[in-house]
Amino acid sequence: MDVVIADRLQFAFTVMFHYLFPITTIGLVPFVALYTIQGVRGDADAAKAAAFWTKIFAVNFAIGVVTGIPMEFQFGTNWAAFSAVSGSVIGQPLAMEGVYAFFLESIFLGVLLYGKTYVAPWLYATSAVAVWFGSWLSGFFIVATDAWMQHPVGYTITPSGVIELTSLPAVLLSPFAWWQFLHVLCGALVAGGFVVAGIGAYYLLSKRETLLARRFVDAGVIVAFVFSILVVFPTGDRNGDDVTKYQPIKLAAMEGLYATTKDAPLAIIGMPDSHTKSLIDPIYVPDILSFLAYGNFNANVKGLNAYAAALEPPVVLTYYAYHMMVGLGTIFVAIAALATVFLWRKRLFETPAILWLLMLGMPFPYIASEAGWVVSEVGRQPWIIYGIMRTAAGVSPTVASGETIFTLLGFAGMYFLLGVLFLYLVLREIALGPSAVVEHGAA
Amino acid sequence: MSIVAFIVIAFMITVYVLLDGYDLGVGAITPLVARSDRQREGSMRSIGPFWNGNEVWLIAGGGALFALFPKAYASSFSGFYLPFIIVLWLLMFRGVAMELRSHFPSELWHQFWDACFAVSSVLLIVLFGVALGNLLHGVPLGRQGYFIGTFDELLNPYSVLVGVFALVALALHGTTFLVMRTQGPAAQRAQRLLPRLWAVALVLYIAVSAATVAERGIGFSWIGLVPLLTLASLGALLFLSLHKDGRGAFMASSAFLASLLLQAAVTLYPYLLPSLPLGSGGISIFDAAPSPLALASALTVTIVGLVAVVIYSALVMRQLAGKVVVED
Repeated sequence: MDVVIADRLQFAFTVMFHYLFPITTIGLVPFVALYTIQGVRGDADAAKAAAFWTKIFAVNFAIGVVTGIPMEFQFGTNWAAFSAVSGSVIGQPLAMEGVYAFFLESIFLGVLLYGKTYVAPWLYATSAVAVWFGSWLSGFFIVATDAWMQHPVGYTITPSGVIELTSLPAVLLSPFAWWQFLHVLCGALVAGGFVVAGIGAYYLLSKRETLLARRFVDAGVIVAFVFSILVVFPTGDRNGDDVTKYQPIKLAAMEGLYATTKDAPLAIIGMPDSHTKSLIDPIYVPDILSFLAYGNFNANVKGLNAYAAALEPPVVLTYYAYHMMVGLGTIFVAIAALATVFLWRKRLFETPAILWLLMLGMPFPYIASEAGWVVSEVGRQPWIIYGIMRTAAGVSPTVASGETIFTLLGFAGMYFLLGVLFLYLVLREIALGPSAVVEHGAA
Repeated sequence: MSIVAFIVIAFMITVYVLLDGYDLGVGAITPLVARSDRQREGSMRSIGPFWNGNEVWLIAGGGALFALFPKAYASSFSGFYLPFIIVLWLLMFRGVAMELRSHFPSELWHQFWDACFAVSSVLLIVLFGVALGNLLHGVPLGRQGYFIGTFDELLNPYSVLVGVFALVALALHGTTFLVMRTQGPAAQRAQRLLPRLWAVALVLYIAVSAATVAERGIGFSWIGLVPLLTLASLGALLFLSLHKDGRGAFMASSAFLASLLLQAAVTLYPYLLPSLPLGSGGISIFDAAPSPLALASALTVTIVGLVAVVIYSALVMRQLAGKVVVED
């Protein structure tokens, strides 16, 4: 196997597995913090809810941490040429993630898990807020690192080919990074809302924990509704604008648009065929792609054929990932809106069909988030730093593909084990329920 | 400014060794002092609130190395590919063991994770020690600063000796932590074990020092003061421990480790990765640093952030202080 493919496979596999857990922690942490604060203020049910969600959060956090460490170090182990060239820029947000966000999150989570009987109530509540802030800030620094690879700013290239930082504020305040972060954040909150509502729905359907379950469904549905809209507009829309502006070939791949077209239609479904360079069995909505990309129904949209083949990202994967993300995003708005209407009419808790929808809906925000990252990163190819450095030029010169395949197999085995253990433990916590949660004891 | 960056990295590594060192040490020593399920749980509980925060020093240190010395980060991590990945796997196993042990009330489940915890702790300490040994020993570097040697060259006698010394030193450190932080039969056994570990650590310290002098010769003359500090803190450790001052002994053990790392840093300077044969150069802090502007920016954000971390983690540790009591 080609060493570049081996390195990319290992990174893709480890990051996609890792990302499942931050989705949950970022999406759940507001619930954890708010229930904790209500609990500290004397709401006994909220205290139970806080203990329950803290436990779920902690398992996700732990697996997120252990699978996150290989991510940071893989830049050095597998992408040494890239790191040596760009470290002065991307090392900074990564270092700041550790120093500013991860410390905050880890140290105060320690208080949240072990400190209830030791520390003053105000410090306990503050710890929950610190964990909340730390986990979102951590997400920001990671997205800012990726955003720089998508749309490099605040740098200069020396004659020896090394990229040097010229402005840290330019990197951290890049509008590209902020819109991408807000989109990712909204996506995680959709997942958080669906998880809280879905587990509440499970309890209601199995006629247990009814009181708390109603609160879960209530809060989860509202969060899912608000953020399933925000993830589309304005954040998703603005991400689309940035892609149109800075990475037009990625846009063409996302839409499966081969020929440059005026009044370009939007393909709702259709299967890209890389031989005939067209979509098989497409269903189009006329003119909409031109409108979405340029705000004008008649605008000219450049197709893939207009670019050199060497600049083309893997079209099929980018296309499907994008359509999965957008399709699921639309379904989330529909489910959340429907549930909100029933909640408004005070009939949601007695309508099993919708509770079933909420419960079965839980995995899908994860799939949509992962698909979104595939669009972003696979669509970035063949660049590791957009327009500056090719992915193939970024790999470690001393690591052979055989070595990477060996470690990839090791990661695969270990993550399989982790996945099984995680599911077992989380399902067990859910089966036990919030009423069974006692003070988090040993480590 | 490269020198300040070197000090920042050395500081972060030292704090990492002092903090994660005690929880790794607890992992290594637990099978010797904790004889029942409850006792082993108590020893894990003693580090429960802290180990994750401690490990962040490694992650933040890695990030800082990336930002401050990108070339050293790139060539060392890719050059030592397999050892690094093995370290990652061990860190994962250890984290999972600590997190998952308590979730299921079954003795078999506990025994399995206790074993994982102990084995991964021991192996991590030895690997870290061997890595430090190789840094001091020098490694074969190619023209562009990438490692060109083989795996078995990394297991040279000197580095293995440093690895063994690391195991004993951190086991001693973990023992002082257990004595300070827990109460019960395991803590008493740890207290009795302490002088014996101490004696082994002293012997190994002398052996490693002699081997280092044989490898590298005597460095700057004022380094001579650092071994005095090492011996003084080692002496204080035994004295305070025999006088049942748990906190003092832990502090002395921390000073002992810090002095060792100070000595290692001074010996290495100005290299991050010295090349073999020694004296033939390597990756120095001046080659590996980015432009002054980038370095200044990275240093500023790192130092400001670390000051904040030190303040709030001290606050939290004070709040969570107190003994973990384990009756049998």
